Amino acid sequence: MNKETTSSKVTKWVLISISFIFIALMLLLPLITVIIEAFKQGWDVYKQAVVDDYTVHAVLLTVEATVFAVIINTVFGLSAAWSLTKFNFKGKKILTTLIDLPVTVSPIIAGLIFLLTFGRQSPLFPILQDLDIKIVFAVPGIVLATIFVTFPFISRELIPVLESRGNDEEEAAALMGAGGFTIFRKVTFPHIKWAFLYGVVLCTARAMGEFGAVSVLSGHLRGKTNTLPLHVEILFNEFQYVPAFAVASILVVMAIIILILRSVIEYTGMRKSNVR
Amino acid sequence: MYVELKNINKSFGNFKASNDVSFGIEKGKLIGLLGPSGSGKTTILRMIAGLETPDSGDIIVNDKVVNNVPASKRGIGFVFQSYALFRYMTVFDNIAFGLKIQKVPENEIKERVLELVKLTGLSGLENRYPSQLSGGQRQRVAFARALAPNPKLLLLDEPFAAIDAKVRHELRHWLKEMIAKLGVTSIFVTHDQDEAIEVADEIIIMNKGGIDQIGNPLEVYSNPKTAFVASFFGQPSIFKDYNKFRRFDPVGEVDQVIVRPEFVKVTKKTETQKYQNSAEEGVVTDVAFRGTGLELTILVNGENITARRRFDQAPIEVGEKVDVFIYRIFATAGDKVYPLENQSLREPVVVI
Amino acid sequence: MKRTNRSVIPGFGLTTGITLAILSVVVLIPLASLVVFTSHLSWDEIVATITRDRVLASFRVSFLTAFVASSVNLVMGIILAWVLVKYTFPLKRLVDGMIELPFALPTAVAGIALTALTADTGLIGGFFAKFGIKIAFTQLGIIVALIFIGIPFVVRAVQPVLEKLDPSYEEAASVLGASRTRIFWKIIFPEIIPAALTGFGLAFGRCLGEYGSVVFIAGNKPFETEITPLIIMSELQEYDYASATTIALVMLIASFVTLFLVNLVQSRNTKILKGGV
Repeated sequence: MNKETTSSKVTKWVLISISFIFIALMLLLPLITVIIEAFKQGWDVYKQAVVDDYTVHAVLLTVEATVFAVIINTVFGLSAAWSLTKFNFKGKKILTTLIDLPVTVSPIIAGLIFLLTFGRQSPLFPILQDLDIKIVFAVPGIVLATIFVTFPFISRELIPVLESRGNDEEEAAALMGAGGFTIFRKVTFPHIKWAFLYGVVLCTARAMGEFGAVSVLSGHLRGKTNTLPLHVEILFNEFQYVPAFAVASILVVMAIIILILRSVIEYTGMRKSNVR
Repeated sequence: MYVELKNINKSFGNFKASNDVSFGIEKGKLIGLLGPSGSGKTTILRMIAGLETPDSGDIIVNDKVVNNVPASKRGIGFVFQSYALFRYMTVFDNIAFGLKIQKVPENEIKERVLELVKLTGLSGLENRYPSQLSGGQRQRVAFARALAPNPKLLLLDEPFAAIDAKVRHELRHWLKEMIAKLGVTSIFVTHDQDEAIEVADEIIIMNKGGIDQIGNPLEVYSNPKTAFVASFFGQPSIFKDYNKFRRFDPVGEVDQVIVRPEFVKVTKKTETQKYQNSAEEGVVTDVAFRGTGLELTILVNGENITARRRFDQAPIEVGEKVDVFIYRIFATAGDKVYPLENQSLREPVVVI
Repeated sequence: MKRTNRSVIPGFGLTTGITLAILSVVVLIPLASLVVFTSHLSWDEIVATITRDRVLASFRVSFLTAFVASSVNLVMGIILAWVLVKYTFPLKRLVDGMIELPFALPTAVAGIALTALTADTGLIGGFFAKFGIKIAFTQLGIIVALIFIGIPFVVRAVQPVLEKLDPSYEEAASVLGASRTRIFWKIIFPEIIPAALTGFGLAFGRCLGEYGSVVFIAGNKPFETEITPLIIMSELQEYDYASATTIALVMLIASFVTLFLVNLVQSRNTKILKGGV
C-alpha cells in the first residue's frame, strides 16, 4: 500500500474523534451519571439504599429469575442443538423459527401473552385456581417471562458451531459403542464449551435486566414481586432519585462484569479454537 | 462367505443409491469398492457399518443377519474419509477410546494402545493432538483407533482421499501390508482405479447404485464384463465407428469402441514395425510428459488416440507422421463388451 | 415428527422430547392463547380500537422516533465499524467492548440515566436548555433513548463484512488510480450496504417494541410522547385486555414485516460473507 496521504490521515482522526465523542456521550456519560447521582448525598445514604430490605429482596428475586432462566435455557439449548444438528426430521425449519420468535416480540407483548394464558380471563385460570397455583402477578410469572425473553440465547450460540462441524466425530464414537452422554461429554462438549459460556453470559445479562415483560406480569408488589429493574422504576417514580440510582448502580456493576466476561470469553475462545 | 449382502435396496428421496445389490466377501480378504462419485459405494459401506439402514434386503456378517443389530454391536472398525479424529483428545486417548467404552482394564488399554502406536509407526506422538499431526499421521491414528477394539471387519471410506499424492502412494503399500499382517477382513471405498488395482485382493465395481463386476484386479482390468467397466479403466480413447480400423472381426452393431493406450504401439517411420501391413498412419498432435514416459495424442483416420512411449525410445515430435498399430479393442453394444484382437496377430508373420 | 433416516447417534427421542416440551410451555401455548383470544374479537371492535386518535398518534410517535433513531445509528454504526476495523488507535479494545453496553445494561437503568442527563437540570439537558431546546420529556428524548438501545445492531452487522472484504480489492482499485473517496463510495460502500440495512432493520424492530428505557424519558403525554407499548401497558393496567391485544397485534405484524424484510436483505448478505459471488 502506498503511504498514507495527509488527507486520509485527517479523515482517520476525524472519524476516530467522532466515534469517541459519540461513545462518550451516548454510552460512557450515562454510566457515569448513574454513579454520580447514586453518591450525590454521600456514602451513608448510598449504603442505606443498597442494604434496604426491599432492595435486598429485589436482588434475590432477580437472581432467582436469572438462575431459572439460565438453567431452563441451558437444558433447552443443549437439547435443541443436539436434536436439530444431529438428526434429520420433518418440521426442523418450523422448529428453528419458533425458537427465534421470542426475541423478535416486544417485551410488553411477551408479558401480554402470558397474561392472556394464565390470567383471569384464561380458560386455564379456574384449573390453576383449584390447584392453588398463582402465576400472574406472582414469582412464577416473572420467571416465565424472563425465560421467554431469553429463550433462544443459548441455543443460537450452539447450533451454528455444531452445524459447521458435521457429525463425523459423534458417529465414530457411537460406532465404538459410546452412549449418548459419553459422546456429549467427551466428544461434543469440548467443541461448544466457549459458545456455551458465551450464551450463558448473554442470557444472564438479558435476564437480570428484563423490564417490560416482567413489568406486565409482576403487579408491582414491593417486597414480593419486585425485581431490581422494577424496584428502580418504583423509586424513580416516587422521586426518590438517590436510592433509585443507588439500586441502579448495582445493575451497572453487573453489566460491566458481564461486558468483561464477554470479552474474555470471546478472546480466549477464539484463540483456543484457532489452536485446534 | 464372511460378509454377504442380499438384494439390498436403498433410496434417498428420489435418488436410488443401491439397486438390488448382492455380493459376498470371503474372510481375510481385502476388498476394494470402486466406482465414480454417486455410484453408491459409500452408501454400501455405511449400511454394512450400520450407519445407514437398507430399505430392503439382508446384510449378513459371520452367518448372522445384522440388519437390526446396532452399529456398535457389529464388531466393526470404521475409518472415516475425514478420519473423524476426536480433536480434543490426544493420539493416545483417541486410540484408547473404544477400549475405554468397553471398560477394558486400564493397564490392558495402555498395553494395547502402545502396541498399536508402535505398529502404526506413531511412537513418540502419543501426547499430540490431531491438529499437530500431518495428514499421513492422522490417517495412521484413524487406522489404529479403528483397530484397537480388535474388529472382525474393517471398513475404510476413501482412506487416501485427504492425503497428498506422494504420501498417498507410500500409505497404500503400508496399509496393504498392515492388513495382510493382521488378517482382518477389510473393505475400502475408492474412486481411484489405480488405488483399487494396487491395494485390493478383489475389486467390486459399482455404477449407478448397482454392481457391474466383481473379480481380482487383473480380471476386471483385462476382461471387463460391461461397457461401463471397459471404459472406466485406463485412459481410454473412445470412438463410434470401429470400421475405421482394419482387421478386426465384425460383431454387428456397435455403440462404441474403446482403445486403451497400452493396446497401441507407435513406431517412427524409420523404425521397423512387426505388423507394418496392418498399421495405420497417423499424425502426432500432442506430446505430454508423464512421470513414466511420453503420452502421445495421435490423429488416426480422423480420431484422436492416446498412446504411450518410453523415454528410452527415440523421441517423437508434434506434427510427425507415425505408424500406429492397435493390438486390441473393446467394442461395446448395449451392456455387452466384445474384446477384439487384431487379426494380424493370428496370421503368420512374413518378414520381407 | 418422524425421522427420515435412523441415525447411529443416540438421543433423538430424549433431546427432541425435551425441546418440544419446553418450547410448548414457553412459546407455543402462550402464542396459542393469543390466537384464541384474538379469535373472540370482532372485526368492528378491532377497527374501532386501532383508529382511536390516541392510538393512531402513538403509532405515529413510535414509528417516527424508531425510524429517526435507527437512521442515526445507521450512519454512526457504519462510522464506528469502519473505525474499529480499519484503524488502530489507543483504547480500541475498550471501545469495541463498550459497543455491547446497551445489550448488557438493563433498559430501566439506561432510561433513568439518560433522563437525568437530558433533563433541564442535567449536564446535557442544561446545555441545550440555554438554546431553548428541550430533550427529556419530548420526542427528542425518546429518540435519544432509542439511539442508545440500537447502537450495537448496525456496528455488529457491518463489522464482519468489512473484516471479510478482500484488501486486494481496494489495492487493485488504488493501483488503477482511483482516489480514496471514490474507492469507498464505488467499491466498499455497495459491499457493506446490505449488512448495514440488516442492522438498521434489526434496530428498528427493537426500537418499535422498546419500553424500559423510553417510559422514563418520554414523559408519556398522550398524542405527543406516548409510544404504542405504553398504550398497551396502560390498557392492561385498566384490565382492557381486548384493546391491549388488538394494538399488540398491529405491533406484531409490523415487527414481522420488518423481520421479513431483514431476512430478505440478509440472505444476500450471507452470500457475500460466505464468499459466494
